[in-house]
Amino acid sequence: MPAIEFDELTKYYGDVRGIEDLTLDVESGEVFGFLGPNGAGKTTTIRTLMGFQRPTAGTATVLGTDIRDRAALRETRANVGYLPDDVGLDEGVTGRRLLDYHGQLRGDVRSEELLELFDPPLDRKVGEYSSGNKQMLALIIAFMHDPDLLIMDEPTSGLDPLKQERLLEFIRAEQRRGKTFFFSSHILSEVRKICDRVGIIRDGHLVELETVESLLDRSGKVVRARVQGGVDAADIDLDGAHDVTVTDGDADAATVSFTYTGAYDPLLATLRDFDLLDLSIEEAPLEDVFMRFYGEDPSAKVQAINDRAERPDV
Amino acid sequence: MFETVAYESRQRLPGTAVLAASLAAFAGMVIAITPGVIGEVDMDAILAQLPPGLVESLGLGELGTAEGFIALELYQFVWIVGLGAYLAYTAASTIAGDVETGRLDTVLAAPIGRTRLLLEKYLALLTPIAVVNVVVFTVIYAGAIYIDEPIAATDLAMVHLLSVPYLLACAAVGMLASVLAPRRLVAEGVAAGAIVGTFLLQTIVVGADVEWLGAIAPMRYYDPLTILTESHYDLAGAAILLAAAAALIVAASIAFRERDLT
Repeated sequence: MPAIEFDELTKYYGDVRGIEDLTLDVESGEVFGFLGPNGAGKTTTIRTLMGFQRPTAGTATVLGTDIRDRAALRETRANVGYLPDDVGLDEGVTGRRLLDYHGQLRGDVRSEELLELFDPPLDRKVGEYSSGNKQMLALIIAFMHDPDLLIMDEPTSGLDPLKQERLLEFIRAEQRRGKTFFFSSHILSEVRKICDRVGIIRDGHLVELETVESLLDRSGKVVRARVQGGVDAADIDLDGAHDVTVTDGDADAATVSFTYTGAYDPLLATLRDFDLLDLSIEEAPLEDVFMRFYGEDPSAKVQAINDRAERPDV
Repeated sequence: MFETVAYESRQRLPGTAVLAASLAAFAGMVIAITPGVIGEVDMDAILAQLPPGLVESLGLGELGTAEGFIALELYQFVWIVGLGAYLAYTAASTIAGDVETGRLDTVLAAPIGRTRLLLEKYLALLTPIAVVNVVVFTVIYAGAIYIDEPIAATDLAMVHLLSVPYLLACAAVGMLASVLAPRRLVAEGVAAGAIVGTFLLQTIVVGADVEWLGAIAPMRYYDPLTILTESHYDLAGAAILLAAAAALIVAASIAFRERDLT
């Protein structure tokens, strides 16, 4: 049984689309990354899954429970950990008191060991916490009852790099214990490190559902070669080579770079025709892949604003 | 069971202490000026100058006795309007405030139902209700003895006891506003406004053709003045208030269950 099963899940706020026809399965025991730009519908999806709002159409099951069945979902939540996007906690109480209360609500089987990983100052008022400390307290609340499924909205946000790394390591360890993770993220390096699969959502629609490896395979390699005696973009006559550019050209040498999706043999055969001074073949950054799905070129947007700023009279 | 009642009650303690201290101070002041007012001011002469309708609708005819003066100065206004509006306001900020800050998400992620959460938050309001009643009862009772104008303990106890259904009804108005209003500020304003508004309505319609309109005012079913001056206990009124509170809470929990938390 999948841990989460989306069946054409749709949520509109009046006329405004939150998500539409979301269909996918999150398998038991996998770490699933849910990605998309701001406003794409990630938080809407998560809050609908938790039962905070009713779907407009379609449905989903969480650990086998239909989310439209409020009473059953309430029982199921005993086995679900949730970390909200914008962590809201009572500010007038100490962290310890808040932890006690949440432990009473959902059961507390492991807050003590969790406090060794995440250590918010429990004796201080939550209102005095930094955002990182609040995030750590919320993480303890999410994990304290040792749930089988964790639904997390931007789990590393606000944490310092050390704590982020610790959380990712913890997620990997929990996955080995059989736990399932469904989390939204913006941070590609963390997705890369821990996700088995990713779903990419844009304007409320699922636009991509892939394993991380195949996403990277499809995005290809970045090839950069420094060659003796100059080179022209047209010289790279190779299937699967895109965006060929030549830079730093002078009489002696030039650098040619391109993205390549294809096998190594034809690539190397082509490159052997040149007098290579230097060669690097690297995985394309995941960022490029996402930008393609997000449908946006950030540098173009920034450039457009700069152009306008430089010509205020236009 | 009742984790939220315990948690929220404890959360309410500091605010309750401040509220109880302020009301105790006000009660002390009323006690302190009582002998001077009933001994030295010619109330009948003053009242003769006021419009008879006003004297009747506000029950000012009893101002010349210690019981009447205390009932009018403290209970008819501070308790009924002030404390009633405070509880409506406080209740209104519970759910609406938690939705606004996102706190509700963290709580409702636990296996707790919305109806139970609402009910527990409501019951936690019994903490300020109980504490201020006990404190002010003590101040007035002891103070009245001190100024040598003792008040019948049973009457005074009934003023406070019967104020509990009244205050619970006010808080229930606030709970309903809390789940219906789009924002916390709106909920608070509507709830406190409903108490003040119905008080004004009830005052205006006394003796008028449309006196029945005052039936929606919760203060019609709780009258500290007649309790203290005539030992008249409106138990039927208290039952009506409790029934109204229950109906409001049922309506609030249905509305809460059905709405999206956005």
